[in-house]
Amino acid sequence: MTHEYHWGWLIVNYLFLAGVSAGAMATSGLANYLGGRKLENIGRIGAYVAPFPVLIGTGLLIFDLGRPERAWRLFAGVHWTSPMSIGSWLLTGFIVISLLYFLLWLPEKYQRFVRVPHRLKDMRHLRRWRPLNPTQNRQGKLILGGLGLPVSVGVGMYTGVLLGAIPARPFWNTPMVAQLFLFSAMSTGVGSILFIRSLLSEDHGTKAEHMLLNSMDSVLIVFEIFMIIPFLLHQTLSTWSHKEAVQLIMGGQYTLHFWLGVVVLGILTPLGIEIFELWNLVAKKHEPRVHLNLGLVSGGLVIVGGFILRYVFVYAGQVSHFLPHY
Amino acid sequence: MVSCSIENNVPVGHHRNWVHQIGIKGEFPTLGMSFEPGNCMHCDNPPCERVCPVGATYRRDDGIVMIDQDACIGCKYCIEACPYDARYFNEETGTTDKCTACVHRVYKGEEPACVATCIGNARHFGDLNDPKSEVSQLLATNDYYRLYEEAGTGPAIYYIYKGGRKA
Repeated sequence: MTHEYHWGWLIVNYLFLAGVSAGAMATSGLANYLGGRKLENIGRIGAYVAPFPVLIGTGLLIFDLGRPERAWRLFAGVHWTSPMSIGSWLLTGFIVISLLYFLLWLPEKYQRFVRVPHRLKDMRHLRRWRPLNPTQNRQGKLILGGLGLPVSVGVGMYTGVLLGAIPARPFWNTPMVAQLFLFSAMSTGVGSILFIRSLLSEDHGTKAEHMLLNSMDSVLIVFEIFMIIPFLLHQTLSTWSHKEAVQLIMGGQYTLHFWLGVVVLGILTPLGIEIFELWNLVAKKHEPRVHLNLGLVSGGLVIVGGFILRYVFVYAGQVSHFLPHY
Repeated sequence: MVSCSIENNVPVGHHRNWVHQIGIKGEFPTLGMSFEPGNCMHCDNPPCERVCPVGATYRRDDGIVMIDQDACIGCKYCIEACPYDARYFNEETGTTDKCTACVHRVYKGEEPACVATCIGNARHFGDLNDPKSEVSQLLATNDYYRLYEEAGTGPAIYYIYKGGRKA
């Protein structure tokens, strides 16, 4: 009963990329719903980011299969007890919604290419499909953004459930993994938008934009901390097998990755920067200054930390196992 | 292990069964070394079957847990899900593989290869639903244990061991 690593970098990347997409989609939909025109840049960056990481990740996932040409079998039915089966359907739904959403966000000059049947009987006649007028475009974004929110949460959570649903690996087998991955997914999505917004903004971005991104991400990071603490407690106070499993990050071979990479770099540092930025924006009412460099650092660190989190969980989980009686 | 690998054409570097030393029993000078062989436990409630996204792993009516090699996509999820680490990834076929209880031999009325070749006659194979079968008789008259029974997997491999598992 020796165990090797069967899941490697491809799976780490996939779990991470699916999370970034889910987070970007949810943030974009939320910004569009809450802020409309005022937060248009956030909505647009999120919509441009959302479909692509997950598409790359799904490619990696299929490439990781022993028989990639059989991947279609995942869609030959639904196996309710298999998180991977549910996840495949969720991912497909997410990709479809995020791609359509992406099309609606394209600049106005491309909108004439985005055509839909305006009447049901036009459905079969492609030539009668017409572009959306601005009102319909706005409604479309709201509808797809609204549909995207639960699906994004589903995708973010499923990446954790995939691991957490396996009793044979005590490191994974706690309900906290699903929540931790969900909050981390959302946080990396916000982080990627913050990073790109800071990179691209000639105008420094508006106060509302930075308020939303920094407050959203700091709340998500705090939620992550609220998951990591019970995770460590649960593992330490549970069965001997769980206790041994958590030793992998409490002195074992993944300790440095976890505490330095995930906790210090990916959680505490960006949280500190974001709280500093929020304080800056709220306390100094006149002439609030946005530090783009800090946005780059906190956004970048959130992304790096999210990636290391996936790495630690995928690898440490695989070496954890039920301890033998002897 | 050797007869299993030959019988089932198991790729080099993988095994469908194993033998572990589980320590020394007794006190000097009456010491004894114990071994614990293992393979797929053909669980009543197989965790591997539950997680398979394409339904390739299934449990036959007779209790043997099988992988449909034409359906398996090689995602390796079941390898992670097995608490006994009884499964391996077959690089030659791109699919997951494991002990089949030599079902091709059982069809012909023969015993699995590991049972047939065990020179110590330590292995037995049969129908536990039949109270008159050899295996039922053995379990009725001996102490035995099962591995990770508490995990609810319902393993179908029984270890006959005087006084239970612990020394």
